Amino acid sequence: MIGKWKNNMRQWLTNQMELPADVVADLPRITMIGHIHIYIENHRGLLLFTDRELRLLLKNGQLLVKGEAFSIKTILPEEILLEGKISQVLYLEE
Amino acid sequence: MKNEWVYRMSGNLRIRIVGKGLERLLNDFTRRGIYVWNVRREDESSLTCYMFLRDIRHVRAAMRKSGCKLYVLERRGVPFWLKASWKNSGIVVGLVAFMCIVFLLSNMIWRIEITGANPAVEHTVRQQLKKIGVERGALQFVIPSPETIQRTLINNMDTVTWIGVEWRGTTLYCQVVEKKQPTQTKSNTPQHLVAKKKAVITYMFVEQGQAVVEVNDHVVPGQLLVSGFIGKEGQTEIVPARGQILGETWYKSTVVVPMKTTFYMLTGKKRETHYVRFWSWKIPFFWNHKEQFSQFEKQVDERTFRFLTWTLPIRYEKVVWREKEVAVREYSYEQAKAVAKQIARDQLKRQLPADAIIQGEKVLHEARENGKVKVEMHYQVIENIATPQPIIQGD
Repeated sequence: MIGKWKNNMRQWLTNQMELPADVVADLPRITMIGHIHIYIENHRGLLLFTDRELRLLLKNGQLLVKGEAFSIKTILPEEILLEGKISQVLYLEE
Repeated sequence: MKNEWVYRMSGNLRIRIVGKGLERLLNDFTRRGIYVWNVRREDESSLTCYMFLRDIRHVRAAMRKSGCKLYVLERRGVPFWLKASWKNSGIVVGLVAFMCIVFLLSNMIWRIEITGANPAVEHTVRQQLKKIGVERGALQFVIPSPETIQRTLINNMDTVTWIGVEWRGTTLYCQVVEKKQPTQTKSNTPQHLVAKKKAVITYMFVEQGQAVVEVNDHVVPGQLLVSGFIGKEGQTEIVPARGQILGETWYKSTVVVPMKTTFYMLTGKKRETHYVRFWSWKIPFFWNHKEQFSQFEKQVDERTFRFLTWTLPIRYEKVVWREKEVAVREYSYEQAKAVAKQIARDQLKRQLPADAIIQGEKVLHEARENGKVKVEMHYQVIENIATPQPIIQGD
């Protein structure tokens, strides 16, 4: 009940004050440069990493990145920069 | 974010981690603040990545918990490079030392070539050079410049007229012009002694020959003093006449001395600047500019460095400014007269042979005109007036 109210409140704030959603709602911010770089902020940890797949834990659900020749350029507690040939970015809801 | 350059400089490692739960380990690394980059999965149970050398202790702690194994594949960055170069330093040190030695040897004197001198003079020249530090093995930038060497040699040696000193590579060339020393040989050819100047004879000492004049006689140039013919008439012998005939001779000289003279005088204050020259750029590296002089003498001393046969474009240059000031010297009439007399005397002495004696001096005339003092002097001098004249026998 309170959680839902909180979410509504956030939604309203985002709409009303024109604040970026990631700041207010604690969502991941994903920046892609073509298909070679993907930069993900606000993740909650690494779940799986192979040269064809990257799975990240988010606040709500997971993020799945598929492609080829992956390498992690940078990994920090809340940020990750992935390099490779990216073909898909998928959200997996819990 | 740090750039590539920072990674390169600080020590970093390329590592391989083998085991299970590698993702968990990476999460653990980030939580511990261990920075890794270029993470690449190799297969199911191994990955490679780069990490900083300074994080190694934290990594060990993380590894212990995970049960994975860590292999170091590559060591990069300045700390490792230093370590490696320390191992190879022998070669570097050797190379640098070699270059230094070649440089030093290239700037040494290897030969001193002396031309135009007989062995005795050459020997003295070498000794004089040695005295001022110029000898085989001396470094060229320690010894004085060729001009200075030249001046010193000429001043210190009375058997030479002139010495030219020149650098060519590692050889110092000295060209000597010897003084023509009069040959003091006793001539055994028949000769007379004749007067070379107008004089009154004051002293006679005849070693050999027949004196034809007496003390207090007045003689004119070319007059026979001691004859080479001796013996009675009819049975004369011809001998080389020898002896010392001193006569009183007279000299006149006129000297003009200005009563007021303006000239420059060095005050002894100087300022120096040392430059290093690269091609045409002059970079001062040491100077003591305390004051600017309004009037000065500038002196430039340039040194070049050689490497093998090449002259390096790097030069050393020393510029010395010596302050000078205008000095006005003013003589009173009496002082000017005294100076004029002194000058006249010095001039005369220079002109006379060393054994001549100035017996008396007289002021003939003195005048003061246009701020100058003109003095006319008359000197009585006792000197050897005899000069040999060979007897050429006819028939």
